[in-house]
Amino acid sequence: MAQIETELQLLKSEAINMWTLVNSQLNKAREAFLTFDKDLAREVVLKEKRVNGSELKIDRDCENIFALFCPVAIDLRFLLAVLKINSNLERIGDIAEGIAKYVIDAEAPFSKELLEVSRVLPMYEEAVGMLEDTQAAFEKEDTILARGVFKRDDLLDAVNKSSNKVLEAHLKAHPEDTSQALWLISIIRRLERVGDQTKNVAEEIIFYLEAKVLKHSKKFA
Amino acid sequence: MQASHVKYRLGKSYGFQILTYILAFACVVPLIAILFFIIKAGVTKINWHFLVNIPKPVGETGGGIANALVGSILIIIVASVIAIPIGIMAGVYLSENRKSRLAYWCRLSTDILQGVPSIVIGIVAYFWLVKPLGKFSALSGSAALAMMMLPIVVRSTEETLKLLPDTLKEAALALGMPFHRVIFKVIIPVGISGILSGVMLSIARITGETAPLLFTAFGNPYLSTNLTQPMQSLPLLIFNYATSPYNEWHDLAWGASLILLLWVLFLNIFTKIVTRKWKVQL
Amino acid sequence: MESTVIKSRNFNASFGSNHVVKNVNIDIPRNHVIAVMGPSGCGKTTYLRCINRMHELIPGASSSGEMKLNEEDVYQMHPIFVRLKIGMVFQRPNPFPNLSIYDNVIAGYKLNGIKLPKAERDRIVEHSLSRVALWNEVKDSLNKKGSFLSGGQQQRLCIARAVAMEPEVLLFDEPTSALDPISTSTVEELFHELKVNYTLIIVTHNMQQAARVSDKTAFFFMGELVEYDDTKIMFTNPKDNRTQNYITGRFS
Repeated sequence: MAQIETELQLLKSEAINMWTLVNSQLNKAREAFLTFDKDLAREVVLKEKRVNGSELKIDRDCENIFALFCPVAIDLRFLLAVLKINSNLERIGDIAEGIAKYVIDAEAPFSKELLEVSRVLPMYEEAVGMLEDTQAAFEKEDTILARGVFKRDDLLDAVNKSSNKVLEAHLKAHPEDTSQALWLISIIRRLERVGDQTKNVAEEIIFYLEAKVLKHSKKFA
Repeated sequence: MQASHVKYRLGKSYGFQILTYILAFACVVPLIAILFFIIKAGVTKINWHFLVNIPKPVGETGGGIANALVGSILIIIVASVIAIPIGIMAGVYLSENRKSRLAYWCRLSTDILQGVPSIVIGIVAYFWLVKPLGKFSALSGSAALAMMMLPIVVRSTEETLKLLPDTLKEAALALGMPFHRVIFKVIIPVGISGILSGVMLSIARITGETAPLLFTAFGNPYLSTNLTQPMQSLPLLIFNYATSPYNEWHDLAWGASLILLLWVLFLNIFTKIVTRKWKVQL
Repeated sequence: MESTVIKSRNFNASFGSNHVVKNVNIDIPRNHVIAVMGPSGCGKTTYLRCINRMHELIPGASSSGEMKLNEEDVYQMHPIFVRLKIGMVFQRPNPFPNLSIYDNVIAGYKLNGIKLPKAERDRIVEHSLSRVALWNEVKDSLNKKGSFLSGGQQQRLCIARAVAMEPEVLLFDEPTSALDPISTSTVEELFHELKVNYTLIIVTHNMQQAARVSDKTAFFFMGELVEYDDTKIMFTNPKDNRTQNYITGRFS
C-alpha cells in the first residue's frame, strides 16, 4: 500500500475516535441533565481536554499530510473535509461541556412539566441521533445516510422556533420556573447549534465523497 | 517559369542519383575483375596434391604449396600472440587515461607506425633481429608482422572501449571491484565484439604482406616448423614463383594466389558473423 | 537501537580548485531514509559519492575532513572494503548487459572471484530479488539478459545487485529520474521496506519525492548543508529562509 494510503487510513480512524468521544460527551451530558447527576457532569467537563487535544492532533496530522504528500482529487477533498469536520466536532464538544457546566451549577433539577412542554428531550435525542448518523455515514462512506441528516434537523428547528412562545405561555401559569426557563432556552439554543454543526458535517461528507458543494444551497433529500 | 526551373532541378537531382549508382558500381568492378581473373587462372591448379606437397625442383611436374601454407599459418599465429595482448592492453590504457603524457606519446607513435611503409618495417626487423642473430627466421618475420598489426589492434580497442558508457565502469567499481577486475571481467567482455573485429582486421591486413617477410622469414623450399629457421609463406611464394621463368612455378603462383584470396575473403566474412553474434546490446 | 551509522565532520570536497562541498557536518542514523535535496550544482551528488569513495576516481578530485562509517574513518580504510559495505545505485539503470539476470544479481560475488556453492548463490539471488519485489516477475526468466527488462525493472535489478552484497548503507543517486511515474512509485515503495535492513541515503532533485519517502531531509545549497531535520518539520516549518524559498519554489 502506498504511504499516503496508510496515513489517510490512520487519519480516518482518528476522526472516528473523535466522533465517538464527542458522541459520548453529548450523551453523558444528557444523562447528567436528566438525572441531575453532578458527578457525571464533572466527568464531561474533565474529558473536554481530550476533545481539544484530539482536535489539535488531527489538525497537525492534516497539515503533515498536505505538506508531505501533496494530495489531489478525492484525497484532497477528504483532508479538507476532515479539517472542517474536526472543528465542527470540537464545537459540539464545547456545547456538551456547556450543558454539563449548567448541571454542576444548578441548584435543583428541572421541573418535569417544563421539560415536557418545551420538548427539549426529544430535541436532544434527535441531535444525538443526527451526530451518530453522520459518524456512520463517514465510516461507511454513505451519502444517502448523510443526506438524511438534513431532514432530521427540521425537528430541532421547530422546537427552537416554538420554544419562546411555549415557555412564555408556561411562565404565565408557573412564574416560579422563570430562572429554570431561562436556562432551558439557553440549552435549546445550544442544541439547535449542535444541529447546525452536524448539518455542516454532513455537507462536508457529501463534498468529500461526491465533490458536490451543498453549503448555502437548498438541500435535496 | 517556376515550373520549368523546378523541372531542371529535378532533372539534375535525378542525374546525380544515376551518377552515384554508376560510380558505386564502378567500385565493385575491380574486385569482380580480380576475383574472376584469379579464379579462372587458379582454380584448375588446386587439388589435394597441391595442398599437401611442397614444391618440386625445377623441371619436375607436380608439387604444391604445403610449406607456404603451414609457414603462413605459423608466422601469423606467432605475430598474433605477440601483437594482440600488447595491443589490447595499450588500447585499454589509452581509453582509461585520455589526457596523460604517456597516452599522448603512445597515440602519436601508434599513428606514425601505422603509416610506416611495410618494406621499411622489414628492413628495421632485419637490422634488429636478423643481423644480430645471424640468420633469417620465422620469428623475426612474425616480429615484423606484429609491428604492423599493433596500430590496428590498439586503435580499434581504444575506440571500442571509448564508446562504452561510464556507467558500466561505475557500476562495477561501486560493487567493490578492484580495477583490474573491472577491466577484465566487465569492460573487455562487454566490448569484446569491437575488440575482436579489430583483431581480425589486423590479421587480414598482415595475411598478404610480402615486403616485411622478404628480409626476415626469407622463404624456405622445404616444409619447416622451426621458428628459428627461415620459413616459407604464401605471399613470398607468389612473389618468387610468379617472377620466375618457369611455367610450373607460374601455375603454383596462380594457385597460391587463389588460396590467399579465399583466405582473406573468409576471414572478412567470419569477422562479420562473429562480431554480429557477440555484439552486446547496451 | 538508535545509532549513527555515517558521521561527517568538517567534510570538504573539490574538483581541482572548484570547492563544491563546504564544511559538511551531518549524522545519519541507522535504518532511516535520508533524502538529500537541493538545486543543481549544490554539491549533493558530490557529497554522496564521497561517502563510498567514488568521488576520488575522477582525475583532479580531492576531499578532506572526517567521514566515518560506524566510527571508522572511511578514508583510512581500503576503498574496496568501503564499497563492499556501502552500495550504490545510479541514475540510469546500469545492469551488466552481457550478463543474465541471475548473474547480474550475484555479479558482486562472481566478478570479484568469490566462489560460492550453487545453493548459496541461488539463495542470495532469490533473497535479493524478493527484497526488491522482482522475484515473482523474473523467476522464470533468470537466464535472460538484463537488458530485456523495462526501465523500472532494470533499476530494481540494480538495487537487488547492490543488496546482494549485504551492505550496511545504500546510496541512491537520483534513482528514479530516468523512470516513468509508475516505475518511480514502485521503487519508492521499496524504500520503506528496505530501511528495515539498511540505511538509505537518497539524492533527489524532486522535492515531492524527498517529502514522500524520507524520515529526515538534508538541504544543500551552494555546497553547504543549510538545514537537516525531520522531514515533517522541513516541509511544514523549515528554520532557514533559504530552505523555505527552495521548497516553495521561490528560487528563480
